[in-house]
Amino acid sequence: MIRLLLVLAFLMALPPVRSACAEDLLIIANPSVELAAPLTLKQVAAIYLLRMTAWPDGSHIVPVNREVSSDIRGEFTAVVLKQDNASLSTYWNEMHFQGKLPPLVQESEPAMLAFIQRVPGAVGYISAATPAIDVKVLARVP
Amino acid sequence: MLLSGLICGSARAEDGYQLGHGYDVGPFNFAGYSNVTASLPDQGGDAVVLDDLSLFVTGHVAKLFNPFVEAELTRLDIVQTGEAGRGHGDGALVLERLYNDSELTDGLTLRLGKMLSPVGEWNQIHAAPLVLTTVRPAVTYRNFSEYLTGASLLYSDPESKIPDLQVYWQPDREFSERPRSITFDEYRSVAGVHVSFPVALLDQIGFSFQKSRDTQGVGQALFGVDFQYTIQKLTLRGEWTYSDLSGRAPGQVRQSEWGGYLATSYAFDDTWSAYSWYEEFSNRTAASDARDLLLGVAYKPHPAIVLKLEYLQNIGGPPVNPTGLFASWSVLF
Repeated sequence: MIRLLLVLAFLMALPPVRSACAEDLLIIANPSVELAAPLTLKQVAAIYLLRMTAWPDGSHIVPVNREVSSDIRGEFTAVVLKQDNASLSTYWNEMHFQGKLPPLVQESEPAMLAFIQRVPGAVGYISAATPAIDVKVLARVP
Repeated sequence: MLLSGLICGSARAEDGYQLGHGYDVGPFNFAGYSNVTASLPDQGGDAVVLDDLSLFVTGHVAKLFNPFVEAELTRLDIVQTGEAGRGHGDGALVLERLYNDSELTDGLTLRLGKMLSPVGEWNQIHAAPLVLTTVRPAVTYRNFSEYLTGASLLYSDPESKIPDLQVYWQPDREFSERPRSITFDEYRSVAGVHVSFPVALLDQIGFSFQKSRDTQGVGQALFGVDFQYTIQKLTLRGEWTYSDLSGRAPGQVRQSEWGGYLATSYAFDDTWSAYSWYEEFSNRTAASDARDLLLGVAYKPHPAIVLKLEYLQNIGGPPVNPTGLFASWSVLF
């Protein structure tokens, strides 16, 4: 009985397991982006929270998001930004009023990939299952 | 880099319009907000007013060239019974902000032009769809210069390890002064600092100091504290300011002015919330303090649309805001 309780206590202490369908995310950028080291998740969050606005060469960062109803945005929001959608929406509205533009939205994985390929300074995210063609992978989010 | 800015802007412009996100044309984003209010005070006339129709343009052209301009039509009566209140009537066209941001280093920005004073959070996000209530607590716009024309240095740590900081200086009068009918005091020199300690995404505690001289020669030194703190669905907000006055203007009966409000809001879900605030305000021209209590509900069918209904009760002192029922419909576009 004690062993059973210990096992149960151990299992309860484990971090929550992500759903089976959750896949790794790739943080991708336009090939023009030059970085000395991979981005940390804190830096990715700083970009989307509009606190980090320029790449090391001084060019403007253009963060791109998926539509609010997509699973991949939900995963990115929870794992990288660690916020809920309502708070983020309020925050980005406040930032917009103060002259900082919120992330753009692309409503499909191909649209996100095409935008990042095309726009200098753009940064976004795709599923690791999608081939990251003609973009630079800045980080992998497990 | 200028070319890069123009290319990025063009790419933004390819995306369709989304309510609340503005519309992109090249490197410029055109956005705005509207606010229609209905006032049914216990004493005086009822009114439906276009309180604000604001347009703001944000430009991200190059590291040193990021212009911003905001102009608005304010206080335009749509329906009015009885005598119009202060500032109401035919409306006024106002230049709210006109400045350029130059990003000096990552996190450090030089701002030149006409901007909002960083005294408290409310003044900096005062657009109706963004603030808690239709009726604004007096402490969020009285007792200090809401605008300044001059230079400001802003520091925002990308990793939020150290507090955000803004220092500012206005050497002379406000550029394109707002009409006297919608302002309380006019300042000819302003300098100050604001420090904000981020606690969470929307939560913070801020400290303000502002030294100013108004057009009547009264000098004032203001100290202020503001905060927001969220515990699950409950959010607490507040602001307190105290000004020490030197010199005396006609009608002034005190050598200080102070006030503070404490607000609570509870989010039932993403669309419905209830809110309240209590305020005490000690006006420099009144012998006793005004005390107001407000209760209301808000409905947010879309992140950019808010409807509010609230009742304000003056519970002591000469009213800063009238007792009555107020409602608003505001849209960020």
